[in-house]
Amino acid sequence: MKESPDIKKLEGILRSSKLSSSGFMGSDRRSLGEIIDADLAVLSELGCPAKDIASKMQDVTNKATEALGNWIKIDDSRQAMITEVKGRIPCPWPHASNFAKRVTILRDTATGDEIKWSDLNIHLIAEHNFFEGKGCYFRVEPAKIAAMLF
Amino acid sequence: MIQTLLISVLIMSAISAGLAAVLVVAEFFLRNYGECKITINGEKDLVIDGGGSLLASLVEQKIFIPSACGGRGTCGLCKVKVPDGAGSLLPTEEPYLDKKEIAGNMRLSCQVKVRNDLKIEIPEELFNIKEYSCSCEEIRDLTHDIKLFRFKLIEPPDIKFTPGQYMQLLAPIYEKSKEEVYRAYSIASDSAQKDIIDLIIRFVPGGICTTYCFEYLNVGDKVKMNGAYGEFRLSETDADMLWIAGGSGMAPFVSILHYMKNTGNKRKVTYYFGANKVKELFLLDEMRQFEKDLPNFRFVPVVYEPEEEWNGETGLVTKAVGRNEKNIADCEGYLCGSGGMIDASIEVLKKLGLDEDKIYYDKFA
Repeated sequence: MKESPDIKKLEGILRSSKLSSSGFMGSDRRSLGEIIDADLAVLSELGCPAKDIASKMQDVTNKATEALGNWIKIDDSRQAMITEVKGRIPCPWPHASNFAKRVTILRDTATGDEIKWSDLNIHLIAEHNFFEGKGCYFRVEPAKIAAMLF
Repeated sequence: MIQTLLISVLIMSAISAGLAAVLVVAEFFLRNYGECKITINGEKDLVIDGGGSLLASLVEQKIFIPSACGGRGTCGLCKVKVPDGAGSLLPTEEPYLDKKEIAGNMRLSCQVKVRNDLKIEIPEELFNIKEYSCSCEEIRDLTHDIKLFRFKLIEPPDIKFTPGQYMQLLAPIYEKSKEEVYRAYSIASDSAQKDIIDLIIRFVPGGICTTYCFEYLNVGDKVKMNGAYGEFRLSETDADMLWIAGGSGMAPFVSILHYMKNTGNKRKVTYYFGANKVKELFLLDEMRQFEKDLPNFRFVPVVYEPEEEWNGETGLVTKAVGRNEKNIADCEGYLCGSGGMIDASIEVLKKLGLDEDKIYYDKFA
C-alpha cells in the first residue's frame, strides 16, 4: 500500500535516533502500518483492546509510583518498580504531548519474567495502537503484556 | 529506442538539477532577512544575520538559554520574554506556555525566528552562562546503573557556579545518534575546585546522552557542556534542614555539602537517602566523612528491601522521615529525585508541619 507523505515523514522520525538512541522501530523492516496491524491482530485474537492494555499498564504504573523506586506488590503473583531520570520525552506523532522519562518494570514473582514500559509506551499504545518495532528496547510484545496484565 | 530513453532520462535529470539549483538560489535570496537587531533587557543590542531561531542566534552570541532538546521544541525549557517583534504565537509553542505566560509575552526561543528587530528580556544571570570544552578525567561506577563522570575544564579553564545548579552536557553525533543533543545533569563537585565538574548520571536504556556517556565516552575524550543553570540552592537562613533524595538525586547535595564544609556552615542537616537494596547505596564513605567534617550533619540511608544484614532504616524513605521527624515547622525541606518521590516527600513534610513555601526541590521531570 502506498503511504502518504505524512506517514512517510512520521516513519522517518520513528526510525531515526532523534528522540531515542534506538529509535522506535528497532530492526523491524515492516512499515508502521504493518507493525500496527499485526499487533492489533494479536490483540484481536486475544480479545483484548489496545486501550484496555494501556489502561492496565497505567494502573500498574500508578501503583508502582507509590513505592518511590522500590519494588511494590501488585498482587500475589506480581510486583512492580519504577525508575525515573531527569527530563521529558515527546511523542513522535505530530501533536503536543511529552512524558516523564519513567520506566515501569512488572515482574512475575513465580517465574521471574519481567516486562517493562515507559510512560510514552502507554501513550503510544492508548492513542496510536503502536507497540514499537521488533528489536527496539522499549518494544512491548502484545501477547506477553496481555498475559502479564490480565 | 534505448538511446532515446537514455537521452530522455538525461534531459529530465538535467531539468531536475536545474530546478533544484534555482530553489537553492531563491532560498538564499528570498530568505535573506539581512541584519536584525536583538535588544536585550533594553540595554544591550546584538546585531545578527536574520533567518535563524532566536535560541540559535543567542547561542551564536554566546548567550545560552536553558534547552534540553537542542531546539526541537520538545522540552519547553527555552522560554524567553519577547515583548516586541516575535510575531504571533505558534501552535508548536502553545502546549508549553500557560495563559499567564502567553499574556506576559513569553515565547519558546527555539521556535521564534529572527526575521526583524526583536526586543527580549532575560534574567541577568544568563549572561554568566558559558560553554566549556572539557576532558573526561575519570569514570567511576557507583551502582550497576549510576556512574560518576569527572570532567576537567579546558577552555575556559574554570567555572563559577552555585552548589545545587546543573550543567547541560552535549552528546555529540555518534554511532547511535545522528544529531547533537544536550541533556541536563546536576553538578556533584566542589564549587571551590573551579577546574572540575563532576556529574552523577543514571543510565537510561535508549537514552541518547546516557548511552553516549556509558557506552562510548572514555577517559581522555573531549566533550562540551554549558551552564551553570538552576535555582536549586541553599537558602541564606539558619533554619534546620531536612534533605531527601534517591538515585542520581544525590548529586546536588554532594556539591552543597562541599560548600558547607568550605564555608564552615553549622546548619543542622538530616539527609535521608533512599535505595532499593544495600548495594544501590553509594558514596557512603564520603557521607561518613562529611559527618565528621560537619558536626551538625547526619546521613540516614534508608533501604527499602535489605538483601543482606542491615542495621539502618528500612522501608520507604518518606516513611523513615515520618517515623523519625517530629514538628518540623521551623525547618526547610530540600528534595531531589523523581516526580513521584518529590510529590510523596512534599506530602510527608507538610503533614509534619512544614509549609510548602519552605520546601525547595529539583524535580527530574
